[in-house]
Amino acid sequence: MSSDSEQTTVTVAPNGVKRREFLKVLGVSTAATTMLGCASEKVEKLIPYLVSPDETVPGVSTYYATTCRECSAGCGVIAETRDGRTIKLEGNPDHPLNRGALCARGQAALQGLYNPDRYRGPMARKNGKLERVSWDEALQIFAQKLGETRSRGGAGNAVFINQHESGSFPGFLDAWLAGFGMPAHLSYDAGADHAVIAANRQSYGVAWPKLDFRAARLVVSIGADFLDTWGAMVPQQLDFADARANHETAPRFIYVGPRRSLTGLNADQWIDCRPGSEMAIVRMLAGQMPVDGAAQATGVSAATLDAFAREFAATTPSIVVAGGGGADGLEVALAANALNQSKGNVGSTIKPGEGYLGFDRMASPAELRSLVARMNAGGVSLLMVRGANPAFTLPKASGFAQAMAKVPFKVSFSSYPDETTEAADLILPDHHSLEQWGDAEPVRGTISLQQPAMDPVFDTRATSDVLISVAQKDPASAARYPNPDYRTWLINRFPGGATALNAALPRGVAAGSLNEPTTARPVPAVQAGAPIAQSSGNMYLVLYPHPFIGDGRGANKPWLQEIPDPVTKICWQTVAEMHPATAESMGLANGDLVDIKTAAGSLTLPVLRYPGMQRETIAIATGRGHTNSGRYAKSGFNPLEILPAAEDRAGGIAFVSTKANVTKAGGYAHIVTTEGSARQHGRGIARAIAIADLKADRPGYDSGNAHGSEIAQQGGPETPRGEQHEGAAAHGEEMPGDAPHEFLPGLRSPVANDAQGEQGDQRSNHKGMYDPNHWSGMGKRRWAMTIDLSRCTGCAACVSACYAENNIPTVGADWQVPQILPDRTGFGANILRSREMAWIRIERYYEGGEDGSANFDARFVPMMCQHCGNAPCEPVCPVYATYHAPDGLNVQVYNRCVGTRYCSNNCPYKVRYFNWFGYGEPARPQYAFPEPLNWQLNPDVTVRGKGVMEKCSFCVQRIREAENLATLEKRPLKPDEFTTACAASCPSRAIVFGDAADDNWSVTQLAKDARAYHVFEELNTYTAVVYLKKVNHPAPVPAGRA
Amino acid sequence: MAIASRPLPPRDEPRRPNLARADIQLPAVRDYEQVDREIVGTLRPTLYWFIGLGVAVFFLLIGISAWMYQIYTGLGVAGYNPPVMWGVYIITFVFWIGIGHAGTLISAILYLFRAGFRTTIYRCAEAMTVFAVMTAALFPILHLGRPWKFFWLIPYPNWRYIWPQFKSPLVWDVFAILTYFTISSTFLFIGLIPDIAVLRDRENISPIRKRVFSVLSLGWRNTDSEWRHFARAYLFLAAFSTPLVLSVHSVVSFDFAMALTPGWHTTIFPPYFVAGAIFSGMGMVFTIIIPLRKWFGLRHYVTINHLDAAAKLCLFTSLVVGCAYMSEWFVAWYSGNEAEQQFFANRIWGQWWWASAILYTCNMVLPLTLFVQKLRRSAAWLFIISFTINIGMWFERFVIVVPSLSHEFEPWQWTSYRPTWVDYAILCGSFGWFSMWFMLFIKQLPVIAIAEVKEIVPPKLKTAHAHGVDPSGRHFEFEPDTPGEFA
Amino acid sequence: MNLRSRWLAVPGFICIAVLATMLSAYSGASSSEGNSPVQPVHFRHTVHVDTLKMNCLYCHFSANKSFDPGLPAVGTCMGCHLVVQGSTPDNKAEIQKLAAFWNKKEPVPWIRIHKLPEYVHFPHMRHVNAGVTCQTCHGQIQNMKQVYQASSLNMGWCINCHIGQSNPPLKARYDCAVCHY
Repeated sequence: MSSDSEQTTVTVAPNGVKRREFLKVLGVSTAATTMLGCASEKVEKLIPYLVSPDETVPGVSTYYATTCRECSAGCGVIAETRDGRTIKLEGNPDHPLNRGALCARGQAALQGLYNPDRYRGPMARKNGKLERVSWDEALQIFAQKLGETRSRGGAGNAVFINQHESGSFPGFLDAWLAGFGMPAHLSYDAGADHAVIAANRQSYGVAWPKLDFRAARLVVSIGADFLDTWGAMVPQQLDFADARANHETAPRFIYVGPRRSLTGLNADQWIDCRPGSEMAIVRMLAGQMPVDGAAQATGVSAATLDAFAREFAATTPSIVVAGGGGADGLEVALAANALNQSKGNVGSTIKPGEGYLGFDRMASPAELRSLVARMNAGGVSLLMVRGANPAFTLPKASGFAQAMAKVPFKVSFSSYPDETTEAADLILPDHHSLEQWGDAEPVRGTISLQQPAMDPVFDTRATSDVLISVAQKDPASAARYPNPDYRTWLINRFPGGATALNAALPRGVAAGSLNEPTTARPVPAVQAGAPIAQSSGNMYLVLYPHPFIGDGRGANKPWLQEIPDPVTKICWQTVAEMHPATAESMGLANGDLVDIKTAAGSLTLPVLRYPGMQRETIAIATGRGHTNSGRYAKSGFNPLEILPAAEDRAGGIAFVSTKANVTKAGGYAHIVTTEGSARQHGRGIARAIAIADLKADRPGYDSGNAHGSEIAQQGGPETPRGEQHEGAAAHGEEMPGDAPHEFLPGLRSPVANDAQGEQGDQRSNHKGMYDPNHWSGMGKRRWAMTIDLSRCTGCAACVSACYAENNIPTVGADWQVPQILPDRTGFGANILRSREMAWIRIERYYEGGEDGSANFDARFVPMMCQHCGNAPCEPVCPVYATYHAPDGLNVQVYNRCVGTRYCSNNCPYKVRYFNWFGYGEPARPQYAFPEPLNWQLNPDVTVRGKGVMEKCSFCVQRIREAENLATLEKRPLKPDEFTTACAASCPSRAIVFGDAADDNWSVTQLAKDARAYHVFEELNTYTAVVYLKKVNHPAPVPAGRA
Repeated sequence: MAIASRPLPPRDEPRRPNLARADIQLPAVRDYEQVDREIVGTLRPTLYWFIGLGVAVFFLLIGISAWMYQIYTGLGVAGYNPPVMWGVYIITFVFWIGIGHAGTLISAILYLFRAGFRTTIYRCAEAMTVFAVMTAALFPILHLGRPWKFFWLIPYPNWRYIWPQFKSPLVWDVFAILTYFTISSTFLFIGLIPDIAVLRDRENISPIRKRVFSVLSLGWRNTDSEWRHFARAYLFLAAFSTPLVLSVHSVVSFDFAMALTPGWHTTIFPPYFVAGAIFSGMGMVFTIIIPLRKWFGLRHYVTINHLDAAAKLCLFTSLVVGCAYMSEWFVAWYSGNEAEQQFFANRIWGQWWWASAILYTCNMVLPLTLFVQKLRRSAAWLFIISFTINIGMWFERFVIVVPSLSHEFEPWQWTSYRPTWVDYAILCGSFGWFSMWFMLFIKQLPVIAIAEVKEIVPPKLKTAHAHGVDPSGRHFEFEPDTPGEFA
Repeated sequence: MNLRSRWLAVPGFICIAVLATMLSAYSGASSSEGNSPVQPVHFRHTVHVDTLKMNCLYCHFSANKSFDPGLPAVGTCMGCHLVVQGSTPDNKAEIQKLAAFWNKKEPVPWIRIHKLPEYVHFPHMRHVNAGVTCQTCHGQIQNMKQVYQASSLNMGWCINCHIGQSNPPLKARYDCAVCHY
C-alpha cells in the first residue's frame, strides 16, 4: 500500500476517534489495504491527529533503542516505529552484546506485542470465571488482598514468581515485597541451564563467562548448544562465526552428545555418545579413564575416542563446554570446567571477567518444586506470577497446576493467557517490554536501557507502575515511593540523572553499573534423578528446548511456529526423532505413530527419521502443546507431560533423565516439514572446501566432503573456479553456451538482452548491457549479495527478519485451510502441500553418512531469489509482471500478476511463492494477520492479494528509501549505507548486500573471494547472489597412523 | 424407429479395401432419397438423447460450481503443491487441444490427399474439433490465479502503456487457440452449407427452424455456380487450415519446451505433441463415431472399411508417438545432463512409475494390436482401444507436467502432487461442457455430410423415378467422380 | 457469396470492435476523476491559499519530507481559529463546526478524495523537491470552492510525466519497481 494512503486512511470509525483508537483503527486500514482492496470507489475517511505529536513526521519512521526481553541475555534492539506503531526490530549496533544482530526470537517480539490473544485489560474472577474489570477496581481488589494477607499474618507466606530478567526491576520488586513484609521473589527462567550456571559459579565465580572462540584452536561442546538455546546465543554465535571465518586460525569444533542439535550440525565432527555417558568422555579427556572404558560406556568406537583424546591433548588453547540437562549435569559441567582450568583455557579462551550477567540470581526449578510442596500443604497465602509459566514449563509430574488450586488467591501479571494465568483470580496485564521502561546490565559496566517504542496496544499497565500505585495507597510503604511512576524511579537511580539518561537513550546503552548483586541463590535440597541407565525402557528419552519456541514462550507467535526448526525442518508439529537405522529395525517409516511410555505417562507422536540421533535414543522438542496459551499455541504436544520429576544437583530440571518404552502405535500422521530431499544428488548447491585445500589454494571440487561420495558432474558448476582452463581442457573443448566461469560483478555481468528497452547500451561488448550513462542512472548499479557458508550456522534469524520486513503471511494454522480439503490435517496442512511463503529459506543438506554413521557433514544454504541477470522467469511471464530492472533487480509487480505461475515453473531455484488464498484479506479464514497482528505490517511493502506470485525483492523498499533519503540530502548513496532485512539481523554476519557495480561496497570485494560460486551456474542465469564455499576442518591424521 | 426396416449392409464387403478408390462406396445405400431420409431422420430427438443431454449438463454444473468456489476461495482449493504449480488444468487443456486435432486433420489434410474414407466421418470429427477447442480454451483462464484479469494477455491499446510479453509462449497460446478456433469453426460451417440447405428444404414442421436454416444456408440454391464457389472455398479453407494442424499444437508444446525444466526442455516436443494430438484425436473420433453409427443406425454409411482405414492412421500415429518416447530416453541418456537423467529415472522408477506405466501401455503397447486386421475391423475392439488411448493421452500430459515439476533442479524442493475434488470436478465439468455441445449438435445438424455422401452413392440413372432429378427439377448428367472431391 | 452473407459478417466485426473498445476503456475507466464529495467542514482552499496566501506546507507540513503530505491536526486549525471567527455567517458556521470537533476532542472525519491504489508508492517529497507544483497533480486547488479530483491519477497519466511528455517536460525514472513494490 502506498504509505500515502495508509498513514491517514481510516475506514470509517464509529463515535469519533481518540488518538489511541486512531492508532488502532490505523491497523484496520492497514489490513484492509491489500492489493485487491484497491477499489478507489469505496468512501474512505482521512482522520487527522487531534494534536500532532512532536518530532514525528507521518510516513517517516522513528527509531527507539531499547532492550530485548525475549530471553535472559538482554540484547539491544532498535524499534522502528511508523505513525505510532512499531513495525520492525533491528539489533542495536552500539550494543556490546549483539552488535546489531538479532535472533529469530528477538524478531518475533513484535508478535508478542501485537499478539491477538493478549489480554485487553485487567480481569478478575467473579463467581468462577474471569471477567473484564476496570483498572481501579482491579487495583482495589489487589490492594485489599494484600491487606488481608498481611493482616492475617500470611505476608511471610506470599510468593512472587517473576520471569527472570536482569536490571533494576528485581531489586525494585524485592524492596516492594519487603515493604509488605513478603519474602524476595523467585526469578525463574525455565530455559536456562541451571547446572552449568552453578558449575560456572563454583569454577569461575561468574554465572556465564564469555567464550572467546577466536583464541581457541579446538572447541569441544558436550551437549552445550551455544548456537541455539544455551546461554547468550547471539554474542556466542557472533564470536563463533567470526572465529571460524578467520581461516588461518579457525578452531576445529567437535560436538559430543546423543542428539546432533543445530550447534552439533555446525561441528566438524560429532561423537554420538549414549545419553548419560558424557561423564565418561570428560574423564577420558582428563585422562582419568581408559579409552576402552569410555568406548564401552558411550557406545562410540574406541578408535574415534582415541583420536579425539589425542587431538584434545595435543591442541591448546581449547574450549570445553558442557550442558545438555542430564541428571548428572552439574558434575559433567564441573568436570568440563576443571578440564579448562587444567589446560589453562581460563583467561585465554574462557573469560569470566567479560561474562554475561543476564543469568545471575536465578531461582532453580527445585525452588518451585519445593514451592509446590508448600502450596499443597496450604502454606502459601498469596501467589503472584509475572511472565513466567511454571504450570507449563515444569514437568507435569511436579503437579504445579494442581497445587495452585490450593492457594487462596492468585494474581497474574501476565499479558497473555497461559496455563498459569488460567488459574489466577486476578489478572493485571503487564505492558510488553516494547511498551515500558526498564534497564539491564548485560555485561559488566554497560547499562542497556529499555524504553517504550509506542503507546500501549491495549489497556495494560506496567507491573512496576502497578506496584508503585498500590504501595502509594498503602500507608506502610507509601513513604518509600515518592515517585509517580517507575520511569522517574529509574531516572533518579540512573547515574547522572535525567540529563544523562536522555543523552544515553538514543544509543540505548550507557557506561555504568546498576550494582545489582550477582550472588548465587541458595539451592534447596534437590530430588536428584537416578542415573539414566537404571531407568527402565528400550530407548533413552532426550527432551530439548525448541530453538525458537524455547520453553514454550514463543508458542503463540505464528512466525516461530511456521519457521521450520533449523535441524529437523519441522513446523507446527511435535515429532519423535529417531535414527533411521533404529526406525528401520522397528519397522517405522516417517510419520508412523509411536507410543512413548515413561514412569510419568505416555505420549503418541509421529516418528521423524533423523540421522543426527544416537541409535538408542529418541528425542522430542519441548515448548509446543499448550492447552490455553492462545490460538497458535494449540499445535503439537508437550513432552514434559511424560518427563518424571527429576533434578540435577543444581536443582535444574533433568531433561535427559529417563529411558522410555517406545512401541509402534499403528496409525500415521503426515510430517509437516519443508524438506524435500536432504541430499544434493550432485547438484553442487551447497559446496564446501577443506581448510587444507583452501590454504594451499587448491580449489578441488567439494573437497570438504568427508567421503568424496559426490561425483563431479561434467562441466558446469563442478568445474573449479580459477582452474577453468585446465578444467575446460580436462573436459575436452568448451561447450558452446557454457557459462563464463568467473563471476562478473556489477556492470560486467550480462543481463537479459530483452530486459532493458531503451536503456540498453548497444556499444557494450557484453551483449545486453545496461547503459550506465542513461539519464535515469538506474543502470549505474547492480544490487547483489554474497552469502558466506563458512559463517552461516542455519539459525534462521534471517527468515524471521524477512517475515517481519516483507509482510509475509504465515499459512500453517489449521483454520487457514478450507475445512473441505480432503488432506486437512490440522496445523501445517498448507505446509504439507509446501505452500509456506518464506521468501528466504534455509536448505539443510547432508553430505556423507549414507551408511547411517555419525560421520556426516551438514550444510546450510540460505536460498532466496537469486535475481538472475538472465532470469528464466522473466521471458515466460505473459504480462510483464516479472521483469528485469536496470539496477539488477528481478522485479515482481504484484498488481500486474495474473497468476499463470509459469515463472515459478521456470525458476531453477524454486524461490517464487504463490498466494493460494487471500492471506491478506481480513474477511477470510485464511487471514494471516488477525487484529492486532496487522499493526505490524510494513507500510512500505504491499500486502499481497489472492492469486499473485511473490518472492524476495532484495528489500527493494529499503533501496528506494535509501535513494529517497540520499536525494533529499542531495548526496550520492554511501557504500554499505543500508542493507536488507536478512543481512541486518544475521547473527553470524554471513549475508552481505550491496551494489556490485561499485568497488567501494564490501559485497564487491567479497564476490572476488576464492570460494565464490553461483548455484546452477551451468544454466547461464548469471545470478546476483554469490555463495562462498563452506570451509570444513576434517580431523587431523594422527601422527601414529599417517 | 423409422429406419428399423432399412436393409442391413451386405456381409460380402471386400476384405482389403483399396482406400484410394471406390471401395469406400456404400453398397447398402440405394439412392439419394435414402440418404436424405436416413440422415435427416437421425435429427429426431429421442428420450435417450434428452437423458444424455441432461447428464452432460449435470456434469457441466458440477464443474461450474467448483470453479465458482475456486474463484471465491482462491486457487489453493485445487491440489497444487509447489513447486508443482501446474496440474490437472494444464494437463486437461493440452488433452482437449490434442483432441481437437484429428478433426482438422481428417477434414482438411485427408481431403487434400483425396483419402475417400474421410467422407463419412469427417463431419463428426470436425464438430468434435470445434467443441474440443472450445473446451480447451477454458482452461488457460480457469487455471489463472486472477482469472478476471485474463484479458491482460490480449494485446490491446491501454492507458497503462503496457503490452503483453510477446516472448511468452502463453501469449502465443492465445493467438494459436483463437486462430485455430476461428478457422476450424468456419471450415465446419462452410462444409455444412449444402446440408443445411437440405434441412431447410425438408423442414416443414417448424417455420422458425426453417427460417433459421434458410439464414444459415446463406440462401443456397444448389446451382452450378454456387457449387463451384463452394468447392473452391472448401478447398481453400482446407489448404488454409492444414498448416494450423501442425502449428497450434507446436505452439502448445512450446509452453513446455521453452522452459528449462528437466523433462520439458527438449526440441522434440513440437513434432511429438502434434503426433500425440492426432493420435488422441483419432481415439476420440472412434469413441464418438462408433456409438453414433450404432445408435443412429448408420452402420451402412460409416462402414467397417472406413473404420479400418482410420484405425491404420491411428496405428501409424501411435508408432510415431512411441518413437518420440524412446528418443526422449535416448536424449536424456545421451545429453549427459545429470538433472535430466535423474528426472527420467524418476519418471519411470520414481514416485510416478504408475502414471508412466499407464501411459506406455495405453499409447505404445495396446495400439500395436491394430496390426491385426481382425481387430482393426472389429468396432467393439476399436471402441475399447479408443478409450485406452484417451486415458493414455491424458496421462501422457500428466507425466509431462507433474513429475517434471515435482522433481526439478532443486532437491530441497522436490515434492509430490495430489489433485483435490475441485480438480476432478472441473475435469468432469469439461467433459460435460464438451458433450453438451456435441449432444446439441447431433440433433440439430447432420453428423454425416449429406452432400458428400451422395457423391459416393452409385448413380441411379437407369431407374425412372423422380430421383434422377435434382431438387430444382432439372434432369442432369451424372458422372462418377473421384470420391471425396466436389465437381 | 451473396449479399446476405456479407450482412451476416457485419455483426462479427462490430462485436470485435466493441470488445476491444471496452477493454481499452476499462483500463482507464477505473478513475474517480472529478470526484467532489461534501466535507464535514466546508474548508475553503480559496480563502486560505488564494486570499490569505498561506503556504501549502503550513498545513500539509510533511509533503516535502515524507511520502505522506500530512494532514493538519485539528489543533493546527484551532491555532488560528481560536482567534479567527470568520466574517460571513456561513464562514462562522463552518468554523463553529470545527470548534465543536475540537471541544469534543474529536478529529474531523475528512472524506478522502485523492487515493492511489495501495500497491503504488507515491513519494510526495520526491515530487515536491523536484519542483513539481501541487497544482500539477491536484489541479488549481487554490481556486476550488470545494476540492475535487482534478486528474485521473491513472498509471498512464503518471507515466506521461515520467517519460517527459508533460509540459514543461519533466523526466523521471519510469521503471515499474520505482513505484510498485
